[in-house]
Amino acid sequence: MRTRTTISAAGAALAALTFTAACAPGSSSSTSDSSSPKTIDVKSFKGKTLTYVYFTDGPDEQATRTAISKFESETGAKVNLQILPFADINTSLQARLSAGNAPEAARVADWHLFKDEAVDFKQYFGKDYASQFTPGAASTVQDGSGHMYAVPSDITINGPMINVDAFKKAGVAVPTKWTWDELVADAKKVAAANNMKYAVAIDKSGNRLSTVLSQYGTSMIGPGNKNVLDKAKATKALTFFTDLVKSDVAPKDFWLGSGSKYTGANEIFLAKQVPVYLSGPWQVGAFAKNAKFTWAAVPNPCAERCGGFPGGKYMTAFKNSKQPELGAAFVEWMNRSQNQAEIDKTAFWLPTRADLTKSGIQYPSRNSDMSVFVSQISETPTDTWAGEASPAFTNAAKALIAETDKVVAGQQDVKTAVDNLSNAVDKAIKGAS
Amino acid sequence: MTTLAPQVGRQRSRRRPTSRTLAPYLFVFPNMLIFAVFTIWPAINGLNLSFYDSSNGRTFRPVGTENYTSILSDAEFWAVVRHTAAFTIGFVALSTAVATALALMLHAQRRGRGALSAAYFLPVLISPVVVGIVWRAALDRQTGLVNQVLSAVGLGQPGWLVEPSLAIVAIILVGTWIHLGFYAMILLSGLQSIDTSLYEAAKIDGSTPWQSIRLITLPLLRPTMMVVIILATIAGFQAFDFIYTLTGGGPVRATTLMVQYIYENGFSYPIAYGLASAAAVILFVVVFVVTFVNYVIGRRSEAI
Repeated sequence: MRTRTTISAAGAALAALTFTAACAPGSSSSTSDSSSPKTIDVKSFKGKTLTYVYFTDGPDEQATRTAISKFESETGAKVNLQILPFADINTSLQARLSAGNAPEAARVADWHLFKDEAVDFKQYFGKDYASQFTPGAASTVQDGSGHMYAVPSDITINGPMINVDAFKKAGVAVPTKWTWDELVADAKKVAAANNMKYAVAIDKSGNRLSTVLSQYGTSMIGPGNKNVLDKAKATKALTFFTDLVKSDVAPKDFWLGSGSKYTGANEIFLAKQVPVYLSGPWQVGAFAKNAKFTWAAVPNPCAERCGGFPGGKYMTAFKNSKQPELGAAFVEWMNRSQNQAEIDKTAFWLPTRADLTKSGIQYPSRNSDMSVFVSQISETPTDTWAGEASPAFTNAAKALIAETDKVVAGQQDVKTAVDNLSNAVDKAIKGAS
Repeated sequence: MTTLAPQVGRQRSRRRPTSRTLAPYLFVFPNMLIFAVFTIWPAINGLNLSFYDSSNGRTFRPVGTENYTSILSDAEFWAVVRHTAAFTIGFVALSTAVATALALMLHAQRRGRGALSAAYFLPVLISPVVVGIVWRAALDRQTGLVNQVLSAVGLGQPGWLVEPSLAIVAIILVGTWIHLGFYAMILLSGLQSIDTSLYEAAKIDGSTPWQSIRLITLPLLRPTMMVVIILATIAGFQAFDFIYTLTGGGPVRATTLMVQYIYENGFSYPIAYGLASAAAVILFVVVFVVTFVNYVIGRRSEAI
């Protein structure tokens, strides 16, 4: 039986973030009832073609293809969907833009890299367009001057998933609230009882590692694009994490063997080599399809604070493409209420629209897992949103991974890593300003 | 008594029609045009770009030699130089030694030389990206074929791709595996050009096979070996694709070489095409100097 996941908790949490939204000039508190373009007639696109550069987390691909088919039949335009690996999306897009070969639209994880090339959606859809989205989501897509260079297509929040079968076999209760110490103790017990190689796995990602920093009470970048790294707290967090990796409680080979590229630990979890895996809701659809065991999303562990770390995926359109208006219209169309809801259901995405957040999304399965991720939004400290929204976050996150790498490999101590990280955050902020 | 034929005919042949004089140039023109458009022009453009700064890849600001001073004062650049030098030296030494041994073995082989040569040449034909992916699986510490074999003979499970000192060894071994067949074929052709009568004479004089190799083969093969060393040196400095898929430049940047450094500067945020171009110019100068030195040493040893 289908259950209804209410995202009102997320709405409440994001409403609490209005201070962040208020920092984004140009955003409006008024809402617009119209979700259709104000200056674009989509019927005029008949016979035209747009290129959509995309990366997929799994089930969202089919959902996107279905939405594209609907867009094509409604407008008569053709969409050339080009799917790239997530790790290559920024490089590939930058190369295309530099070569004067901009696609009409793209799905990205950091739109700041492309803001000079992106259309301002407010120019096409009015100054109130951003208010169709939750204040938190809207704040992440507007620059200091209030331009809206991207549309938030889904919101993410980091959180753990566990192998329920393995927990049951080990006689360990599925947690409803736990600390990092309890998580590690439980995970070790479960791994030993199930002959698993590791106890905890975390994606090799600066965003995921920022979750641990946040739980230990600090962030790299705060409101106003300022370096807010608390060195003492960061030292505690990195000492805890690197000790896990160095002792192979979290897979050391995975961490060191991935080089400088983002790498997900989902395969380790699916191969039943680890009972606890920290990732995010974008894994739900893939796990629902591919996991050969019972699994569940559970709340984040707490240290000094609880909750996860926010993130999001965005759609942007490029003004120097052959059909910039078509690109903008496509992005707007894909994120209209009904269309975003349809994609969210199949892709297991959390909505970004204010109306959908209020009404909730009815997923075909895994509603309880999605609810857990939604609950983590309200648990997540509000200061983390400013970090995620900062144009300096991508490079700061890279530095976090690079400095952590050196500690894990025994090339430097945690104190040096934290000092270097703080300098790198300053440099990232300077470079992005 | 013979009389010399009049030279009239020869004098007449010195004045060729214009069409015959131009013909060779017309034949090479398409090739020269392609070379100019796809090699010379990008090289000049790259050199020019190294004196500019661009944060978005489209607007350029002249900065003089700032990119060069910035690179030369970057600690990471020097780490990359050390890694590149270590890889190139290891790769050139191992490739040349193993390819020479392989060529000698193939040269001595009477039957199946063609099939064996084709087998050794096969890795040259495989995409380096695929090579990186395949060897990544083979060198996995826990599940890789290499460690399963080593473990079976009691040599443990080395962390080829996760220990910085071993990762550089791993990329040298894989790089050698890729290029081995190509270098062996070059050396084999060099071996086949050695006059066999020299070996027969040596045999009559009582030379052992090892003495023949040491005193006849290797000295006469030296020019071909110098070609291989120069090609391997250039390939070593330019290595990137298989390394990127094999190690991603890790662990802890231990296998990040010059080309990856250039790639990351050119395509990471914020975009630094000028910096990347300056690094590429530095790489060109280094490769040119090392190749030239190799060439001079090779010429001198030939003269000796």
